[in-house]
Amino acid sequence: MRCRQLAVLAAMLCGGIAGGAVAAEQRFATRLTAVAYDGATRANVQGDGQVLATLDGNKLTVSGRFMALPSSATSARLYSGAGIGVPGGPILDLQLDGQADGALSGSFTLNSKQLTALRQGRVYVQLNSQKAPEGNLWGWLLPEHPFPGVDVPEKGQGFLPQLDVPGNWVEK
Amino acid sequence: MLERRRRLIWIVMGATVTLTALWSAGLAQPANAPFTDAQAAAGRTAYAANCASCHQGNLAGVGEQPPLAGAGFMSAWGRRTTKEFYDDIRAQMPYGRGGSLDAATYQNITAFILMANGAHAGTQAFDGTETVRISAIANGQVPADIATPRRAAGGGDEGGAAGRAPAMTLGQTLVGNIKTYSPVSDAMLVHPDPKDWLIYRGNYQAWSHSGLKQVNEGNVDQLQLKWSWAMNEGGENATGPTIHDGIMFLANTSNTVQALDARTGELLWENRLGPLATRAYSALRSLAVFEDKVYINATDARLYALDAKTGKVVWKTDIAEPGKGFNETGGLIIAHGKVIVGLTLCRGQMPHCYISAYDARTGKQAWKFTTIAAPGTPGGDTWGDVPDDMRAGGETWIAGTYDPDLNITYWGTAQSKPWMQASRRSGTASTLYANTTLALDADSGKLKWYYSHAPGETFDLDEVFERVLIDHGAQKTLMTIGKAGILWKLDRVTGKFLDAKQTVFQNVYSGINKKTGQLIFRPDVLAQKTNTWISSCPSAAGGHDWPPTSYDPANDLMIIPLNQSCNMMLGHDVVQHTGVVQPEGEERLFFAPGTDGNMGRLAAYRTSTMEPVWSFQQRSSFLTGVLSTDGNIAFVGDYDRTFRAVQTTTGKTLWTVRLPTVVQGNPVTYEAGGKQYIAITTGLGGGSPFSKPSSMLGELHHPDHGHAVYVFALPDKLAGKLN
Repeated sequence: MRCRQLAVLAAMLCGGIAGGAVAAEQRFATRLTAVAYDGATRANVQGDGQVLATLDGNKLTVSGRFMALPSSATSARLYSGAGIGVPGGPILDLQLDGQADGALSGSFTLNSKQLTALRQGRVYVQLNSQKAPEGNLWGWLLPEHPFPGVDVPEKGQGFLPQLDVPGNWVEK
Repeated sequence: MLERRRRLIWIVMGATVTLTALWSAGLAQPANAPFTDAQAAAGRTAYAANCASCHQGNLAGVGEQPPLAGAGFMSAWGRRTTKEFYDDIRAQMPYGRGGSLDAATYQNITAFILMANGAHAGTQAFDGTETVRISAIANGQVPADIATPRRAAGGGDEGGAAGRAPAMTLGQTLVGNIKTYSPVSDAMLVHPDPKDWLIYRGNYQAWSHSGLKQVNEGNVDQLQLKWSWAMNEGGENATGPTIHDGIMFLANTSNTVQALDARTGELLWENRLGPLATRAYSALRSLAVFEDKVYINATDARLYALDAKTGKVVWKTDIAEPGKGFNETGGLIIAHGKVIVGLTLCRGQMPHCYISAYDARTGKQAWKFTTIAAPGTPGGDTWGDVPDDMRAGGETWIAGTYDPDLNITYWGTAQSKPWMQASRRSGTASTLYANTTLALDADSGKLKWYYSHAPGETFDLDEVFERVLIDHGAQKTLMTIGKAGILWKLDRVTGKFLDAKQTVFQNVYSGINKKTGQLIFRPDVLAQKTNTWISSCPSAAGGHDWPPTSYDPANDLMIIPLNQSCNMMLGHDVVQHTGVVQPEGEERLFFAPGTDGNMGRLAAYRTSTMEPVWSFQQRSSFLTGVLSTDGNIAFVGDYDRTFRAVQTTTGKTLWTVRLPTVVQGNPVTYEAGGKQYIAITTGLGGGSPFSKPSSMLGELHHPDHGHAVYVFALPDKLAGKLN
């Protein structure tokens, strides 16, 4: 059921983008998965979700869904770290609607530092909850890319963030 | 006012000194803990049954298993709560079977471990919800009766365990009388007959590729199970059969070696060398054959030569001192009449790890190369001021490869330890010969050259796995890929760096010098401190780990099993002493960004250009090596019990079968009686490649038993037509 909901959401989001996209827009997406956990925290960081972000100039619009949290969501923010997959500090608050299942959204005007961080894949969405106040789900906003599906081969290496997102790899 | 302040300072200082003295003398007692004597007593029994085989009866830990008592435990858990500890072990233990015990048993084990760290029972029973800081109730002082564990009737430490093999009689249970075995010569090893599978990875070059093509892209979907054989339970099963003259030699856990008729699965001889496996760790990844003998480097660091026709022991020798915890796991190779083996689990003790060679006919040691450079020896200065007995790591988890023309054997080494730079206090120095490719003269063990792949590596990202030897025209190259997921190409004559390619998401390095191959660390990795969390992608499961690649020469494709996961790692302030194992760090796992939660990736790279040709992802990690054949097919198995064949040139899945438990090991192919067979093992246990998906892929289930070998072939009618 959860997978179907996510698939429907992803299709809706993609459809919306395809319908309303303009050339200047950049699209970023992420799946929300458990924050870093160990056995002691694992039970409190369950759940799933999907987030889409559209950048038009310096205006960022974020929308997404989450589901099956072990406890009610309390806050959602955009964070920025030192690299893709590197946690950092909060930069912008998102609006939250729902408890264990729900939606998050936000519209922002990014400053140049935030813009650079987003374009380099260093911005991530983090959802906090009652039992996981320091993080329940997270996901890095990376350029939307085609995914052929599980077990379906694609030519080349497929999407590798450090190579496909500018600013993450230098060859001297 | 000033006088009163001085008096107060003196009172505080005096009280501090007194309390410190009392504490040091063991007289200061922490507050009573939230558990009862009855719980701790029951927990002791439960610990012995479920935990002691890995963490030891005295809770001191060994190898990769951290201590659960003493300073090491307090360093890792002192600042956390009883509930966190309970939740942690309930989620993850026993190893590979997290959550399999009832709540009361986990509560009792928690109580026992707290008691083993000096906590005193009270009247309140522990129910798993108490959030008492562990350092407030425990001081890490281990009671004498726990520090010196009781001995079980069988002579070992008390307790059975997850991973412990069921009781069975050791020794030779069936003596063979094989008439059809022909001696294996040097020439046969250099040019192996495709009908055989004589060497761990198929040939000296570690191609894991077969020239057989009776089974091919056009008919692989008709493969059928021909026979299967249940293997020893307990321990870690991740092996691959060795085949010669229609005989399959099979390494089981508990160092049991069997000879089977490769056409029918009939047992021809069996020798249970022992000791019994006691933990779900340390696999026998291969055997070797040469002349009239079968060789096994047993998990207790003993080397045996068995008569290939009867299974009787011809000679045995110690690779390292028995009973000290030294370990063998990566198989062995025979080169120029010598048996060459590595060594693992040398941590917390001397001597350092080494690679050693033995005369294949007599077992006499021929040479030894120590993989940690001592002070005053070449490379010794690469550890800075770290004393010799604190220089650790450099294990050789995987058997090396061999170039008979150059008479050089190539080995990879594991990372230095403790894992993190900040804990190790060696900075970005190269800590030779950790994370290095070593080129050794096969006759003398003399170092011909070395290449340090990752100086200063800091996240348990070994560069220890297979060294694949490929010629590109006149250029002789060596290709390897480690946990960071970077595919390396070196000149194997000189050790010169030629090229490198990233194959999975990694964020540890932010660049490379393409002339020298020197990697550039992400800036915050260099600024790390102990007791601070820091991100690493891949996690310690590795972008690539022990399941090896295959190389298809006709298509110039290297097919690589890859894994995608990340962790946050925290390095402890480690004080290493010989004989003491301390937990060197902690980790917290998460899915790799950009992967949509898919841990498994299989990818093919053209080795001449280093360009990716195809890749696909799936939820489950791959836990077998890849076997490719001239039939334009490649086989691979995974954590979710699927064994599959893909088209080598496209990656398209052509055939799958679901086996009873995790598909783990090394697939091989051979021909017997005119028919081509494909063999693969199922198995449990193992380090990070097995434990990370166990933790992260909670929706995937498998039985916690089922070690076996499965053998597939085409239907008789079809195979007959193709001959």
